[in-house]
Order: sequence, then structure tokens, then C-alpha cells
Amino acid sequence: MLTGYHIQELYRYRDLILRLAWSDFKLRYKSSALGFFWSLLEPLLMLVVLYVVFSNLMRTQVEHYQLFLLLGIILWNFLDRGTSMSIWGIVGKPSLVQKVYFPRDILVISTCITALMMTVLESVVFIIFMVVFRVMPEMTVVYFPILFILEFFIILGLSMALSALNVYFRDVQFIWRLIVQVGFFGTPILYPITIFPERIRWIVMLNPMAQIITMMRDCTLYGISPEPANVAYVAACTVVLFVLGYAIFAHLEPRFAEAI
Amino acid sequence: MTAAVEVQGLWKTFRIPHERRTTLFENLMGLIRPNQYEIFTVLNEVNFQAQNGECVGIIGDNGSGKSTLLKIIANILRPSRGAIKVKGKVTPFLELGVGFQPDLTVRENISVYGTVMGLSRKEIRDGMDEVIDFAGMRKFEDSKLKNLSSGMQVRLAFSTAIQTQPDILLVDEVLAVGDLDFQQKCFDVFNRYRQDGVTILLVSHDLNAVRRFCDKALLLRKGKQVAYGETGRIIDKYIYREEEHVIPVENKKTRWGNKKMEILGVKFMDKNDKENSNFLSGDPFIARIYYEAHEPISSPVFGIVFYTQDTYCYGTTTNFEHMDTGMVVGKGHADFFLNRLPLIEGSFQVTVALAPPNYEFAYDWHDRLYSFQVHRVNQNQGIFDMDGYWKLEKYE
Repeated sequence: MLTGYHIQELYRYRDLILRLAWSDFKLRYKSSALGFFWSLLEPLLMLVVLYVVFSNLMRTQVEHYQLFLLLGIILWNFLDRGTSMSIWGIVGKPSLVQKVYFPRDILVISTCITALMMTVLESVVFIIFMVVFRVMPEMTVVYFPILFILEFFIILGLSMALSALNVYFRDVQFIWRLIVQVGFFGTPILYPITIFPERIRWIVMLNPMAQIITMMRDCTLYGISPEPANVAYVAACTVVLFVLGYAIFAHLEPRFAEAI
Repeated sequence: MTAAVEVQGLWKTFRIPHERRTTLFENLMGLIRPNQYEIFTVLNEVNFQAQNGECVGIIGDNGSGKSTLLKIIANILRPSRGAIKVKGKVTPFLELGVGFQPDLTVRENISVYGTVMGLSRKEIRDGMDEVIDFAGMRKFEDSKLKNLSSGMQVRLAFSTAIQTQPDILLVDEVLAVGDLDFQQKCFDVFNRYRQDGVTILLVSHDLNAVRRFCDKALLLRKGKQVAYGETGRIIDKYIYREEEHVIPVENKKTRWGNKKMEILGVKFMDKNDKENSNFLSGDPFIARIYYEAHEPISSPVFGIVFYTQDTYCYGTTTNFEHMDTGMVVGKGHADFFLNRLPLIEGSFQVTVALAPPNYEFAYDWHDRLYSFQVHRVNQNQGIFDMDGYWKLEKYE
């Protein structure tokens, strides 16, 4: 499925991808009085709760803990939202699968782009926070977009597999919820990786999301460039997840219209 | 001419599990106890070609695989065996308004649906006003879709869908929705497409639409291709099918009489002298009434009445037509002939009866025990096709 021809085809369908993503994005805020503010409010409320609980524990160790926490939450939310929405990307749109034809990965790609739009919106809160707390990013912030793109492709790879599997096994959504919950605590979001003893840190850091969040904080808040080896590891994980996700999707796709 | 759609040796089977397993847990348990499948063949060796610019009607009973065939040509389902070759851009009209979002406005929905139907951003921008005007929705362009009636939504969907410029159009029963006015609009649009040289595959139960519209027809029966060719011949083949039809059995409330002379059964015969319950309007029709007289009966009267729903359409007897049946004993049959079935369309019930010439009682009365279907061949309305014609004289 990941052939040059298919990529060309996706390019021809770019209008559709963006239109679906944008209309989904708009729909999320359409009927609520506060509109876009909801998506700003959600990470803020979470931040407040977590900050109140954890700031006393962490303050001594972590500089700019509120920003540290907020960035972690936003980046993790991106993964959580992207995959959770995509699980419904195929099953939730039966008429688009059964009554018309376009390459079905478009449904998943557009859902991930919707999640991307929501995350960009949330990032506005983060930028405001940086201004308020007078934290100016250093030159190392140039790594941020690179890591962000890697995260996007991890999400896309996972979403491909999850959306396709959920067509045949409807409990995938519950299992995945559980994994995301555990992942939230198993990933250095509330805490820095340094709270673990040196000898077990590498186990935690096998998780590419732990790497990504740590490196993104380092380059944005603390002016530390990521280690090339770590970036390479994350890139390798991204490629594996992405290719595997697409392979699963391509294998299951032919019977989507029958199995929904 | 080149083939726009070529279907070769197409098979489609669905695997229907005896129990449906939709969770991972059930599937894991299934490793221990394998699930059993029923293989259901929906399409069985279908072969045909639609030439460029041709309009092909696909007809057959429910469950004969018509829609599945369209979906396979549209690439929504994949064939189990066989090959499909399609030349050009395929646009399926299997359902109108795919991807409509009730919470978005009319304009936004036109954009989304237009994109789903394969229109470019520019085409949508340029066509927007035309769509809104065609659907007659100038006043509502910025209201939410959910505030429109379902009829208006269909109109909007249709107006948007016809902006597409396909090479091959797949249509599934779209014409069935909407009022006469809307159906006429559909026809006009499809005729325009046809003049533009678009190849059209049309699935429909409306045989008259197929007749008016299609150059060729494909008849499917239980997934098998029965015939493919010129429309009129194929429709004939569909209506005057070869297998036997069972005529409904008697029911006590709808049958009475002293049974000195009995009606054993009634068969409707078509123009091929085959028993049938489907007829085309205007074709020959015979009702054959089998009787048995248990004792000699003098001049029994045979009667027949046609109903549609509760409307009494027509009734006649041998007596009214001045036919004396003479002395009757034993078995035989009486034929009631119509050289030209003058009914337009619908389901008709038939009463047959045997009575003495003074109609004081009945020997045997089968009240609306038999029925047959009439399929239209033109656009006339009502019950009877009265052979009317028009003439116009202009004074100036």
C-alpha cells in the first residue's frame, strides 16, 4: 500500500483529506457555546488539577514545572486523541466505506489531521504560558518541529492498525483505552525521567513517547539539544510502527465494507 | 467502440459465520472451538461488457446480487474470483448525501459532499451557486442541514452529486426516492449525462425506467447471469420467467357454494402459453378456470371479477357475454381471454365463480383467491390503459 502510486493517489485526494479533517474539527466545536475555548479549557483544567497535586512533590527538582507539565499533557493528549478518534475512523463512518469509494486510509489520515489541528490549538495555551512566565526558548527549539512530525507519524501508524483491527475486533477500543491510561503514568509526563534510578531509566526510555516528550521539553524549555542517538532511535521506532500499521491496514482493508 | 466496463467470470461469495465474533476474546476462544461458516454465493459467474456511452440496466428480484455487482464495480467490495476492467472515472450514486453532517450548514455540506464525490475545490467553488439554485435553497444556504426536511436534503444531495463529470456512472435505485417531479428531474439529468457519452449502469426495480432509459439490460437471478442484451427482450424474459408459479391455496372464508360443481383451480397464462403471475401491460392474458361438475348441470355461468386493492375494476360472466355453456358434467376448463391486458400497473386480485343463470346461489365462489402483477410499459397513470390518443388542431 505504501507505494509511489498510492502516495500520488493520496496527493490527488488531498482536498478530500483536508476537507474531512476540517469539517470534523469544526463539528467538534459547532454546537457548544464556548466553542474553541473548550479545547483550551480541557488541558488547562487538567493542568490545574495535576499541578495542585504534584507541584509540591516536584517543585524542588523541576524548573518551570507548570510548563513542563503542560507540554507533557499536550503531547500525550495528541497521541491519546489521535488514536482514540481514529479507532472510530472506519467503524464510525459506515456510509463513507459502503456507499462510495476512495482509498480508505484517507479516513484515518484525516482523523489524525483533525487531532493535529486540536493539538495546534492547545499549543496556543502553551505559548501564552511561556510568555506569562517569561520563558524564552533557545535556538534548540528548532528540533521541536522535527520531533513533532515524528510523533505525528507514530500516531498515524498506530491509528492505521487500531482502526483496521477495530473493524473486526470491537474490544480493541477498550484494550487500547487501558494501554493509554497505563501509558500516561508510565511515561515521564508528571515527572522527569531522573526520578528513576540510573540503571532502570533505559527501560522507561524504550518507550518512544517517553523519548519524544523528554527531548521536546529539553529543547523547548531548557535549551538542551537532543542526543542524535535518541533521535535516531525514535525515528527507527516511527518507521517500524508506521510500516507495520500500514501493513495491518492494507491486509484488512479489502473486507471493510462487508465487516462493518 | 471500446468497453468502458468489462466484467469477466465474476464471483462473489460472503462467508457468514454461524456465530458472529466481534471481540478479541471471542476470537481467542474460537481458536479452541473453530467457527463454522456458511458460504453464500452472491454472484456466480457474471460476464458482460458495457460499451462506451451505453446505458445498461441491471434487473432481477431482491437478493439477486444487483447491488453487490455495482459495489464491486465501484471497488467498494472486492471480487472473490474474476476480473473487472474499468476505463475512466467511476462515480457511484448508491446513496445520496453520503457524509452529510446535520450540524453543518448547507454550504458546508455541499463542500464536504462535493469533495467526497470527487469534485475539486475549484469545481465546488464555481458550482456552488448553481447547486443552491438547482436545489431551490437560496433562502436556506446558511442554515444547518438538520433544519431541512428530508426531501430537501435529498434534493440538495442530488443537486450536488450531479455536478460530477464521471466517465462511468453507477446508479442504484436513486430514482425510487422523491416525487414524480423529482423523478422527472433525475431523468433529465441522466439523459444529459447520456448525451455527454457517460456510460451508465442502472440498478432498478422500475422496469419502465429501465425500458425508457437503457440500451441493454442484464438479468440476474440468484446471482446467476440469466441473460444480457437488448432491453425489451431481457425485460420480457424477466416477466415471463420459466419456472412455475404456485397459486395461493384456498381459504374457507373466501370460498363458498354448494359444490355441486367445483372450481378446481385457476391459472393465468401469458403470451407464451405458460402459467405466470407477472404480465406486461398491453400483452395477451388468459385466465384458465378448471372445473369439475359432480352431477349434470344445465347452463352454469362462469364469472370473473378483477379488483385492485378494494376497487372493483371489471366483472363479466359467460351469461353477460351471451354465451350458453349448455349441459356440463365432469372435468374441463373455461378460458377467459384478453387480447390486450388494459391495466396499467399494480397488483390485481381475481374472483372466479360458478352460478346458475339466475344467480340465486353459487355452485362455487372463490372470492379474490387469485392474484397477478402488471408491470407498466408507458407513463400513463391510473388503473386502465384506455388506448387514448391526442390530436392537435391549430386555428392560426
